[in-house]
Amino acid sequence: MSGGFDRLLDSVVRIDVRELNFEDGARRIDAGIGSGVILSQDGLILTNAHVAGPKAVEINVTLSSLERVSARLVGWDHWTDLALLRMNMDEVKRRGLAFKHADFGDSDKLYVGETVFAVGTPHGLTRTVTRGIISNNNRYFEDTEGVDGYETGNFNTWLQTDAAINPGNSGGPLVTDDGRIVGITSRAYLGANNLGFAIPSATAKRIVAGLVRDGSITRSYIGIIPKALQDLEGFYDVATNTGVLVESVESGSPAAGAGLQAGDVILAIDGKKVDGRFPEQLPPIQNMIAGQAVGSQLAITYKRGSREASATLVTTRLESRMGEEWVSDTWGMGVQKISRAFARENQLPDDTGVLVIGVQRGFPAEVAGLARGDIITKINQSPVASMDVVRSVDAAYTARPAPTLFEVQRERRVSLVVLKP
Amino acid sequence: MLAAACCAVGARASDLPSLWAERVKCAVAVEYITQTELERRPTIAYGTVVDSEGTIILPSAAIDLRVSPKQIRDFKVYVPGDPEGSPAEYLGRDAFTGWHFVRANASVRSRLVPVTAFAGPGEPREASLAEEVWGIGIRNKDEDFTPYILQSRVALIQALPQRTAIAQQEVAGPGLPVFDREGRFMGLGASSFGQTFLQFSGAERGGTPIMLVNVEESSAFLVAGEVLPYIGRVPKNAFGRPLAWLGAYGLEPMDREVAAFLKLASQSGAVVSEVLEGSPAEKAGLKAHDIILGVDGVPLPRFRPDRVVVDYVERLIAVRSPGDAMTLSILRGPSRLEIRARLEEEPRLVREADRTYFEKIGFTAREFVYGDAIARHSPTSELRGIVAHLVKPNSPADIAGLRPDDWIKEIDGAEIKDFASAVGRLSEIDKDLMRTETVFLVSRGSDTAVLRIKLR
Repeated sequence: MSGGFDRLLDSVVRIDVRELNFEDGARRIDAGIGSGVILSQDGLILTNAHVAGPKAVEINVTLSSLERVSARLVGWDHWTDLALLRMNMDEVKRRGLAFKHADFGDSDKLYVGETVFAVGTPHGLTRTVTRGIISNNNRYFEDTEGVDGYETGNFNTWLQTDAAINPGNSGGPLVTDDGRIVGITSRAYLGANNLGFAIPSATAKRIVAGLVRDGSITRSYIGIIPKALQDLEGFYDVATNTGVLVESVESGSPAAGAGLQAGDVILAIDGKKVDGRFPEQLPPIQNMIAGQAVGSQLAITYKRGSREASATLVTTRLESRMGEEWVSDTWGMGVQKISRAFARENQLPDDTGVLVIGVQRGFPAEVAGLARGDIITKINQSPVASMDVVRSVDAAYTARPAPTLFEVQRERRVSLVVLKP
Repeated sequence: MLAAACCAVGARASDLPSLWAERVKCAVAVEYITQTELERRPTIAYGTVVDSEGTIILPSAAIDLRVSPKQIRDFKVYVPGDPEGSPAEYLGRDAFTGWHFVRANASVRSRLVPVTAFAGPGEPREASLAEEVWGIGIRNKDEDFTPYILQSRVALIQALPQRTAIAQQEVAGPGLPVFDREGRFMGLGASSFGQTFLQFSGAERGGTPIMLVNVEESSAFLVAGEVLPYIGRVPKNAFGRPLAWLGAYGLEPMDREVAAFLKLASQSGAVVSEVLEGSPAEKAGLKAHDIILGVDGVPLPRFRPDRVVVDYVERLIAVRSPGDAMTLSILRGPSRLEIRARLEEEPRLVREADRTYFEKIGFTAREFVYGDAIARHSPTSELRGIVAHLVKPNSPADIAGLRPDDWIKEIDGAEIKDFASAVGRLSEIDKDLMRTETVFLVSRGSDTAVLRIKLR
């Protein structure tokens, strides 16, 4: 193999993550293993968002020298399933640890059949190299809650490879024989043989730059769910390779405000023609919209029936459906803030309230009858506008336990329960 | 016949065989067919004869409420022990009691005796604790609906909210009568009170047991005082119209802890989850999250379990007629107020909605009614579109991804204004042999989808 490949092997790390989870209504630590690749001599490591995210309370990295060093999360982007870590460089210097870093290749130049290698820690087997080819360099699939319930995959297509990808490979690099990173392996079909998927380096490069700069990726949102036109051009009376179908418009979104409707065909955005004939063409269109600065104006030209029309809308910031999580040790209850996206999906009037994600048996929340899936809308008759409301009532209760009235919505039914010491 | 039966009320307890011989004539088995687009399915229920016109009451659970009365047909009444049934007519369901009413053909009436013949003089007597009672059970069709006797003692009487006696063992088939030792009518077997049994696997040690429910016999019965005053509530039509409607949706009981917290310990309440658009409740100023504490000046009593209060309030509405007034005592935040609502006729229900089946496309279109709009958080002022009621497996509609309960808003790009025009358009599509596809715009939950249905 090339010198570049040897260097790559020395830049791949095993990542051990301990995560805090509230889903039992208590603080529970879960451990997980993944892979990562060192990107720079100042200790940046790229991995998957589903390996290390904001819930991580302890991250340890095992270098190719088998030495272990702690790391912290720089930022993550669940939409592309990428996360960026930084090793504790003080510790690296103090202990005199050495490592190499790898460079990005160009995923846009990959051809189908090209040999690639996946490097990682499948099932904890450190620095395992598997070999395969690029099976498809533009794979589209939807995964609406792929990263622990967080949305993923709307803004990129994937590289598909037959290099063996197993649990624990996640976050490791997919490389060409010169050792350059062309993808970050992230998932495989369970029960299938050698159907593995990686995030292309073209996407990863962009995300890394954003995470280094801001610690997060900000995207614009307009609220349409696009669908490939594929063979419906005749029905909508548009030329082949023209336009993208609006499958759904999210209520309360900028698109809904501008009057767009399901069944419209978007022909151009800001004067630039769009072509959404095939599903693979949808992520770039979504990405183009997402890449606009939040609050920017977009001119949408669309066709409805036989009529062409245009609308101008102002983008808002894209938010995940997953809100902030917290646990009350006193009540034995894990909760998650209702996000705007969650409210929209579940047809709630607004984003007031917190969702119960777990209760601990025998604790006040469970005894009062609260259960996973309930939405707490009011506590002591005041609306739960933010997680701070829950935290402050919990603090008061912990200091001086007294019966506390909760208003709870379950499906569409509202009931009252009292939590008692 | 009637005179003889009346005399029997005073008979001695030891005459059980002769009491039985008379009283078994007020029990029948009723068979009917549910006919959907894809199947014909027979169902058997048990009923009690309540008058000399051959009127029979069946418990609420005897007929699935999701099924349209237009789909149930071919009613037959079987005299226990006789495999030959005779035709009967379905009269509808009474909203207050929940009973379905069926009328037996004249030819069989002479073999039936109304249960009122055994009611005895004066007010209905309620069984006392530990009193011995007996009732009628009926075997399956393959055993010629042979009647048999069940006997037990009353263990407990509860208000649920109707006064319901719970016996130590099964005491009657659901919907069949229960008597005391003197042969006096004591009540009707309640449905959903079948005994449950756990069966453990002999092969798999420590495996999960199977729960068996005895649905053919009940250990509880509605006491006679909850039955006899209402046997005349024969519906005027199959849908049981008129139906009184308040429009307070999703009543939830206030439990004891909450009542104590709100300093209402001695009584009960019901939380209103939503107030429906355009309903009498909305017009009267009722608000979501109000707590109903009383009706017409009477505080809601406390029940065990707490959730019974919901049925209690719903029965107070169902016993009234459209146009009647109802005064609600409300707790809203810290303040108490009185709200006076005038009940109205309930909007068209899903089971009353028109339906049409389209063979080639492979689905049943159903009229979009008020309840559909409520279920979809949509304004009720404009009831547009249609609902996919049934999607035939492997049909073009199924393959294209149409699912039951999808709300179809557009057909081939044209908005659906009403059911009749949608049926017109769909019939043309269904009949057109040259047509290759049709495109539906459907709404499902918070999303919409464009479905392309390939017809050839």
